[in-house]
Formats: sequence, C-alpha cells, structure tokens
Amino acid sequence: MAARDPITLEVVKNALDSIADQIALVLMRSAYSPVVRDSMDYSTAVCDRDGRFVAQGLTTALHLGSFPTAMRSTIAKAGGNMRPGDIFIFNDPYGSGGMHLPDIYLIKPVFLRGSIEGYATALVHHADLGGIAPGSMAVHATEIYQEGICIPFLKLSDEGKLNQTLLDMIAANVRIPRQVIGDLRAQMAGVTRGEQGLLELLQRHGANDFYDYCLALHENAEVAMRRVIASIPDGCYEHEDFIDGLGEDPKPVRFHVAVTVKGDSVALDWTGTSPQVKAAINAPGPFLASASYLAFRCLAGHEIPNTEGYTAPINVFAPRGTIVNPKPPAAANARGIVGFRVFDTVLGALRQAIPDRIPAGNEGGAINFSVGGQWRDQVYVFNETVMGAWGGRPTLDGIDGASNLAANQSNQPVELIEAENPLLVERYSFVPDSGGPGEHRGGLGILRQYRFLAPESVMTFRSDRREQLPPAGLEGNLGTPNLNVLKRKGGKLRLLPVLPMEAYTVEEGDVFFQVLPGAGGYGHPFDRPAELVLADVADRKITPEYARALHGVVIQPDGTLDTGATLNLRAARSVTNSRAHLAFFFRAMGELIAGFTPPKTSDTSGVS
Amino acid sequence: MTSRNLSVAVDIGGTFTDIVVADGAQFLDQEKILSTPDDYSRAIQEGLERLFARARILPSEIGLVVHGTTIATNAIIEGRGATTALLTTEGFADVLELRRMRVPELYNFNYEKPSPLVPRRRRHEARERLSADGAVITPLDMVRLRATLQEVAAQSVDALAICFLHAYANGIHEQRAQEEAERILGDKVYITSSHRILPEIREYERTSTTVLNAYVAPVVRAYLLRIVGVLSELGVTAPLRIMQSNGGVLGVEAVLRIPATIVESGPAAGVVGGAMITRRLTPSNAITIDMGGTTAKASLIENGHVIKTSEYEVGSGINVSSQLVKGRGHALRLPVIDVSEIGAGGGSLARIDTTGRLRVGPESAGAAPGPACYGRGGKVATLTDAMVILGYISDVGIAGGTVPVDRRLAEQVISEQIAQPLKTDVLAAAHGIYLVAAAVMTRAVKAVTTYRGRDPRDFALVAFGGNGALMAPQIAESLQVRRIVVPPLPGVFSACGLLVAPTERELARTIFERLAKISEHQLKSWLTDLADKAIQQLLADGCSRKLITVRYMADLRYAGQAYELTINVTPAPSGAFSLDELARAFHEEHNRTYGHSAAGEPVVLVSVRVVAQEPAPIAEMPRISLRHESAYPSSPTRELYFGRDHGLRQAPVLGRGALRSAGVLSGPLVVEEYDATTLIPPGWRARVDADVNIVLDRMEGQDGSA
Repeated sequence: MAARDPITLEVVKNALDSIADQIALVLMRSAYSPVVRDSMDYSTAVCDRDGRFVAQGLTTALHLGSFPTAMRSTIAKAGGNMRPGDIFIFNDPYGSGGMHLPDIYLIKPVFLRGSIEGYATALVHHADLGGIAPGSMAVHATEIYQEGICIPFLKLSDEGKLNQTLLDMIAANVRIPRQVIGDLRAQMAGVTRGEQGLLELLQRHGANDFYDYCLALHENAEVAMRRVIASIPDGCYEHEDFIDGLGEDPKPVRFHVAVTVKGDSVALDWTGTSPQVKAAINAPGPFLASASYLAFRCLAGHEIPNTEGYTAPINVFAPRGTIVNPKPPAAANARGIVGFRVFDTVLGALRQAIPDRIPAGNEGGAINFSVGGQWRDQVYVFNETVMGAWGGRPTLDGIDGASNLAANQSNQPVELIEAENPLLVERYSFVPDSGGPGEHRGGLGILRQYRFLAPESVMTFRSDRREQLPPAGLEGNLGTPNLNVLKRKGGKLRLLPVLPMEAYTVEEGDVFFQVLPGAGGYGHPFDRPAELVLADVADRKITPEYARALHGVVIQPDGTLDTGATLNLRAARSVTNSRAHLAFFFRAMGELIAGFTPPKTSDTSGVS
Repeated sequence: MTSRNLSVAVDIGGTFTDIVVADGAQFLDQEKILSTPDDYSRAIQEGLERLFARARILPSEIGLVVHGTTIATNAIIEGRGATTALLTTEGFADVLELRRMRVPELYNFNYEKPSPLVPRRRRHEARERLSADGAVITPLDMVRLRATLQEVAAQSVDALAICFLHAYANGIHEQRAQEEAERILGDKVYITSSHRILPEIREYERTSTTVLNAYVAPVVRAYLLRIVGVLSELGVTAPLRIMQSNGGVLGVEAVLRIPATIVESGPAAGVVGGAMITRRLTPSNAITIDMGGTTAKASLIENGHVIKTSEYEVGSGINVSSQLVKGRGHALRLPVIDVSEIGAGGGSLARIDTTGRLRVGPESAGAAPGPACYGRGGKVATLTDAMVILGYISDVGIAGGTVPVDRRLAEQVISEQIAQPLKTDVLAAAHGIYLVAAAVMTRAVKAVTTYRGRDPRDFALVAFGGNGALMAPQIAESLQVRRIVVPPLPGVFSACGLLVAPTERELARTIFERLAKISEHQLKSWLTDLADKAIQQLLADGCSRKLITVRYMADLRYAGQAYELTINVTPAPSGAFSLDELARAFHEEHNRTYGHSAAGEPVVLVSVRVVAQEPAPIAEMPRISLRHESAYPSSPTRELYFGRDHGLRQAPVLGRGALRSAGVLSGPLVVEEYDATTLIPPGWRARVDADVNIVLDRMEGQDGSA
C-alpha cells in the first residue's frame, strides 16, 4: 500500500483518537479520588516513536502542551534502556519535565518486534501528595520541599515487574494512600490499555507506514496552524495582565507578553513578567508553553488534528527566574492560576489584532479549594475545582455554568461530597447581577457555600480576579470580582485574600462562602436586544435596576418593556462606567450572605 | 378463513412508519408509509387501514399491538414538551442549569450549551434539608411551600418536578411537597418526585431525570390516548404495549406512571430483535449494527442478552462514547439499552475539510434534499452517492425502484467535490468516502467493545437497517470480525423486534453499604422484596404469574470509586444468594473491563436490581417465505469497485431465495431485496441459514487489508 493515502490517514487518525479516549475512560471509571473520577483533572496522550503526541483524550486542555517536554525528558533519560513492560513515572518539575508535584506522569513505551514504535501516556492530578496542607495545594509553601513527595524519573514497572518499594514509599508520604495508590493503579491500567490499542494499530499498518502517517498528521496540523497564524495581521502585540497578589497585602503579579506575528509563525516573549515568588504559584517546566499554545489552538478550531505538529510555528520564550520560568526550589503546587492567566494574557494581546475573533474574559480560572483533617478516627481530604463562567463572545452570549475552556473539568456532586466528607454544601447557585454587561453578556458568577462539620479541619484555597477583573471584549464591561468570606460560628464575617499565605483552621459550624467571578461582556451593553434583557430579568439573572442602569432597558411594573423610555435612555449611549455594575453585584451578595458589607473601595456606592 | 392469532407491530422512525403483521411466528405482511410528524397517529391509522384491506385482516383477529415511538425524544429535541416547573431544596434551584460543567468539545470558543428544560423563572426553592443519611436537618417549611406553590400555579404550568437533596435516602419531604402540590395545583398538572423515579445519589442526574419525566409526561399521555383512540376506531380491542428504552414493553397505564422510560425506545427494538437472532448463534455473542439514512448505531449482545446502561444523555445528537463525552444533552439515568450512535448514514455528507482531509458526516442530507443521485435537489456528495458509483447500490432505483437513482448526478458531485481536490479519479474518491464512513462507524463499534475490554473478534456482526449490510463487511475487516449475519426483512427489522420484546419491569434500590457489612439473609430479602414488587406490577399489567421470570443483579464498586459494574446474581438451588460468589464475580468483571482488580479492597454494594419479564407470545423472530422475491434483483450482474487491491469486478446480483438455492457463493456478489442490499466483497462467502439469515463468513487467509 502506498503510504500517505488520505483515506488511510483519516482511518489512522480515528483509531488514534479512540485509543486516547480509551485510556481516559479506563482511568475515569476505575479511579478512586473525586479529583480524577468526578472533576476529571487528568490527560491522556498517544505518542509516535519519536515521542511526539499524535492524539489526546478529551480531558484537560491545559495539560496537552506539556507532553512534548515530558517525552523529550523521558527519551533523554531512558534512551536506549527501555524494555517491553516498562512504565516510567515522575512528577519532578525541575529534573524530569514535570509541572508540579500533584501531576504524576506515567509513560509506557510500546514495542513492536523489539523496537519502540510509540508511547501510551497519562498524566493525573493526584488528590494528595503530602506537604504542608491537606490536598497539597497550599499557596503558602515557599519551597518545593514543603509541597509533598517528589518523584524523579523512575520505573514504576520494570519489564512488567511492579516497583512495590516506590509504591510503599509514596503510600507512606501521603494523607490518603488508598485513594492515591488506587488512582495510580487506574492510571497504569489506562496506559496498558493504550499500549494494546496502539499495538493493534501498528500490526495492522506496519511500523513504518504507521510512523509515516503520524508524520502526515503532524504536517497536517502544522500547515493548518500556519494558516491560522497567517490570518492574523503581522505585527507585535504587547499586553499585560495580573494576578492580584499574595496574602493580606497583595502586590500585583505582572504577566507581560509580546506576541510577534510574522507571516505564518508567531513568537511569544514573556520578558517583563514578574520574578518568581516565595509562594506556590510559580510555573516551572512546560506549563507556560502549554498555556501559550492553547490560545492559538482555540483559534484554529476543532478540525485540525491534536498532534504535536501544530506547535511548530509557535515559539515561546521566558527569562529564567520569572514566575513563568522559575529556578528551583520555587514552590509550584498552586501554579494552575498562572496557566489561566497566561492564556488570558495571550488572548488580550490577540484582542488588539483580531478583536472580532476573541471572546471577553472568563471567570479567570478554577478556584481550587482543599480541606482536610480528622473525622471519625480517619483522615479525610477533600478538594475540588470551582469554575464556570464564559465571557461574552463576538456572536454569542457568554455561558452561565460551563467549565473554563482551558481546564474542562466537572463539578463534584453535592450529594457525594456530603456522603463522603464532614461537609455540608449549603448553596450552589448563580449570583444575580454578576455577569459583565455587554451586547453579549458575560456568564454569571457562582456562589458555593460550605459548612464544616468536623471538630477541626485545615482549609486552603487559591483564587484570583478580585482587583483585576475579568476583561471585556470590544465595548463591553468587565466582569465581577471573586470573594472568599469566612463566617466563624457565632462570629463575624471575614473577607479572606485571593491567595492566602496561610492555612485556616476551621471548626464545626464555621461557614465558608466562595464566590466565583462573573465573566466579562462583549460589545456595547446598549446594543443588547431588549427582549434578551427582559428574559434575563424574568429569570432573575439580572434585576430591573441593573437592566435600566447598564443596558438602558426600562421595564414597567407589569414586566413588559417601556419602549419609549428605553429608546430615550439608549439614545444617550453613554460610555458606561465599566465598574458601575459592581454596586449591583455587591447588593446581590448582601442578599445571599447575611451581614455582608462590600470591601471598602470606590466601587461600592451608587445603588439606588 | 380459519381463525388467526395476529400480532401487529408499529414502529415510528424519522422518515418512515413501519407496520409488520405476523400470524403466530409467521410473517404475514408489512407496510412502509411516510411518517406524519404533525400527528403521528394519522400515518398509523392510514397504514393499518391499508394493511387490513390488503391482507384481509379483521380487527378481531388481532391479539396484540406493540408500538415503538420516538414521541418523547422528539418532544425533548424539538423543545415541544410540557411547560414545566421545578421545586428544589433552598440554594439549589440552579443545579439543573449548572449541570456537571464539562464541555463536550475542547478548543471551541463557540460552544453552545443546551438550554435547561426548565428556565430559571420556573425553578422554585423549598426550605428543607436532609443529610446524606436521610436525617432531617431542616424540616420542610409548609407555610413557605404553600406560598411557593401558589406562584407555581400562577405560572400556568402543565407539569411540576420535585427534586430535593438526598431524597434518594429519604423521600419524606418530597412526598409531603407532592401531596401539597397535588392539593394546590389540582389534577390537571402532572407532578413527579425524584425519589419515585430514580432513588439514586447525584443531584444533577436525578434532577434532570425527574425534569425529563415531567417534561414529556403530558405529551406522552396525550399521544398514547390518541393511539388508543385510533385502535378502537378501527375496532381493534387487543391490548396495546409500548416499547421502553430498556428493551421491554409495558401497558399504557404502566408507561404513564413513568413516561421517561420510553424516551429512548427508538433504537431499542432493533437491538432486541438482534438479541433474538443472536440467541440462535453459537456462541450467542454479537454486535448489532443498525444503519439508516443519518446515523449508525452499535450495540453489544452477550450470551443472548442486551447490555444496558443508566448513564445516558437524551437530545445529545450523536456521539461516539456517551461515557466520556458528557454535556451535549440532558442526563437521563434510567435503564437504557446501551447504544453507541454516530453520525454516519447513507445521507451523510462527504467533504474536504479546511486541512485537506476527507470527512464523512456527521451532517446529513436527510430525506430532503437527500443524496444527489436521487435528483431531488441534493447538491452535496453523500455516502449513498459513493455507494451508487461503487455499484453497491443499484443505479436503477431503490425501494423496489420506487426511488429512482441517477448515477450521473452522483458522479458529478463526487468528481467536483472530492476527486478533483484529492487529485484522484471518481471511483477512488467514492471508495475513499466508503472507507472513511466505515472508519467512523468502527469507532461506534469500538465504543461498545474495546472500550469495555471486549475483543470484537469474539463477536459476530448482526447488520440491519437500509445500509447496515452494505457497511458491515468493511467494519468487519477493520476489526477482524469473521462472521456477519443479515436477518430477514432488514428494512423493517426494528418493527419485527417489537413483536418479540418481553413485557418487562426493572426495579432498583440503593443500598450503599460495604459487602463485608451485609448478611446473605439481607441480600436475599432485598432482592426478593424487589422481585415481588416487580412481579406485582407485571400482574397488574395483565401478565401471567406462570410465565414471569426474574433476573437478579447487583451494582458494585470498590470503596472510593464513582462508577459501578453490574453483576448478575444467581441464586443457588437452595434459594440462597452467595456474597463470596458476588465478590468473586465483581473482581473478575473489574479485571476484564479495566485490566486491573484489587481483591483485598473493600467492595461497596451500591444498589440491587431485578428485571422481571414475561416473554412475548412469539418466541422467535417472525419467519418469512421467500415467494415475493422474484421481483428482484434489478439486473443480473453489475460492476463493483473494491479499491486498488481488487479493482473493478463483475458481480452477480441475486435475491435471498436465489442465494439459498445456490448454497454457498463466494464474493463478490450482491443480494438485493425490497428495502436493503447486502454486499459480499471478495474474500467473503455467503449462504442462507435455516432461519433465512444471510450468513457471511470471511475466508481463511484473508489478512484484513482492504
């Protein structure tokens, strides 16, 4: 059979995608921890004989671009010493191509007639790897040594023989060994299933033809990506965005990118980004590249194959010692926020070049929440990610309640949380008046409210976007801020920082309110069709006062549109104060959290 | 005329309404009539009238009418369900809209999330709270509830769904709220509570299922009453049974208690028929392939039994693996035959995408304008056009020549749209479309086999639907399947499946306890209580105690996991249920499905489950006589193209009866029938077996390359 026949190419691509999906499915259905089985914080990939990925399971988008570095490191370290039945394991971000300690990579080489013809791989975020706080996601860790067990490049399986010593070592260093070891078992089963699928494919097509089709898929993706880049006007687009900062007295952490588009390739230079910090939000390894690729991958749409070839025209550079390319032993476990902000910053730069193709800002990334302690003579650890507001889009509204595109994780069912942990989730709902106004409005913020039932637990979390609000698109408005409010039993409310530099000890009866930012709006809010504004009012997603003040839509007491008054208001077409909507948001918060008073800023006045 | 005992099956599809009549186990006649979506009962009435006249059927001869309908699915997909309100625990009115968050496609800025079936304005909250073990934390506030129900009344809804947190553990608050709602809203509003529909943990899935039940109930009720009216107008007094999503049928009254059980009844009957065929094969394992104009559906039959799942999304359109790709539709957690559906059918559009790759589907030309070769205005190349060029489909016409086919139109679109961009000839382009469509469909088959640890080589393919037997050989090649079975009447196979579907009630009860803490006595009493309840319901539906059989099952998982495996529980001759045996079977199935198990780990019994059945009066698929086949084929031979390896081959075209007379014939050849065509490529041989199935066997020495 002649190689490079376009029909066989499509057949091979379908088969590769289904292998990556199979690894993902085995993992999800036989995993033990809620982070894996419910949130689906993991990724799977199939690689060719060079270690370049040729398929990805439908899981976490931000992980995908990390496989090239992990695979290069694997090949550099193990090179000619791989044997059938080997499974490699690592999480070390400074020596092995990992990203942060919770993300453990398993890589299984696939042999056909004695030579390596591909790899089945899976990367799983594990629920706890030890360290200073339950869930291993504490922001206040200052060195990697405080963050849990670090696994250098090792063999978990040596020619099919399981490395029990290593498993025992891991089990002894984590708070919930049954979950972690169970998830590792599921992860091993996943890559083994992937190996079987890849072998069948190799036998069918022959190693050399198969490899040639992999090359064709890389080329195919590269050509498509070059076409996408070429559709962006040449130029250098600089943009800055921020993480609000650390602890009680936050100083903004700056992200600065210069995106230089030249013909069909692009360079991203992160010079000007803040130096690394003494907290766990440094992003070593391939995370910067992965998040940088993502923006372009989204622009390219869903037709291009998920193969490494598409990364070829994208060049990413960051000076060493910055928060996006830190030196050891910078702590990194809560670094996910950096990925979200890198993605936002690239989109911000592209918004200058192609504003009609870039949506307004989303909620700013997943809030990560962890709590753990002793409960009925057992250790419990609970962690979850809370996300779900999309910014307004050039032709569509934002979305109320859909996972951040960069993470694509699920929420965890409240009933399962309560059945398995000493927690009561008292509310999980939208916050009215929290979407950024726009012709296409931003998705609503979300309130998740926990009551602690154990006598004593330790809580950490990671959030952002309280000062630097989710950005708007074109003439739209910004989104609304994050809030983290702790109410001690019988005590007062306390507003906690976005990135606390401490763990909080919470007691039975304490309540924690976590508020996810509302997303930014796209287009002028006065251009939003009045009937859509009316529908949002009828659904109590916005109040009539908000409709009037921000959309220029006047609603009569019987719920119908006051056409004349609306026309009058809209004729003025004032440039709306982009923070005017915050007063409405704070009023809504006051109705949801008894005793809540807005933080003292200029944004809080003005609700009539 | 001697007295006959007739059964009538009515199967409604998107394009056609199929009616089949059998006398005992003997096929008598069929009627295929265009569906009338504005009022499906019209086509049914007309079809029955025609059939009664032609086959000289007296209504009094009919002993049973079985009906499969997509009315509930269509109501959901088209948003034409009842105006529904939802009552939830305070703080959780948005669960229905927040869903599970995940987006079913990566990298798409323009993803559109399905709208909730109940908008926020009609989602109300009740002050009440239970804990996970069912204890009352906050009692139901009746004063507030009454005020809220008055608001619901003012919204003039047709249906109300009630779903409170942890109601699976204790239904008391839902029960009280339902009673109060019945009092305030009256009997014009359909009211349904989650603990009665689905007493299972996970609030979004339970809420969504309860809402679906409310949303379709008024539509299903009105529809079924209309069908009952049509039948009585025709003088038919036989009982009417309705196909459920789980492959069993129930009487009208029983269906109206939980109408959501018929939401996915569309594909079920074909799989039930496939299971019936498979039971007579050795071994009794098969993959059914049902392929029509827009989609292909694959399902697994093991030991003659259909496989069910309760993880389903309705209205999700088409997906390869509903297990992984969640978020396209509305969660429905009632037992459904596990069907993997994918957008590849005869009408699927072929095109070259922006990256230069050849794609087939999921977009379809549908019935209108249809494939280009039908000459009804279709301008885009389809799989059917490709198969006409390849000679697989007659270029004289299909459906016995009632739909004319113009080969030149097919050649024109494929030449312009596919061959020229790929710089190849029309034949190679058409073959490429065929291969890519088969590759897409192969993923659907993998989703029900390799994704579950099943090796497709251990299964036969049972192919039906208008195009199933054209695609099956290529799917079989790529999965190294050695046998394909094409049953009689492939075009109305689903209707035939209705005739053999058992009357069935499936009941489950959530236990959520470690096996180690359960006694065998407890296990037995849970299962037998449930069985008694299911049997009582079947008796109320007119079944006979002597004919009812019961199967026992348990849903198990390792402590900490989120997904269960369903294990059959077989009582010992003494009537005892062995826990050790149950645990052993679970470890084994876990290892088989996922490739690992952990014998030392604690195992949780999530729920127990029983299926009570009364078999259909007809114990086998209706037999056919082949006397009408002389009208086919369309021509004695034609030229078929099988890719570069085999090239163009002159192949005989014959009917099923001629093949039976001929004994065993080697491919290439084509078996042409009224509403379906079977392709036998080179490397395969075909015969007709005692059940009048066409059986294709791959000849030894075939390496599987195409």
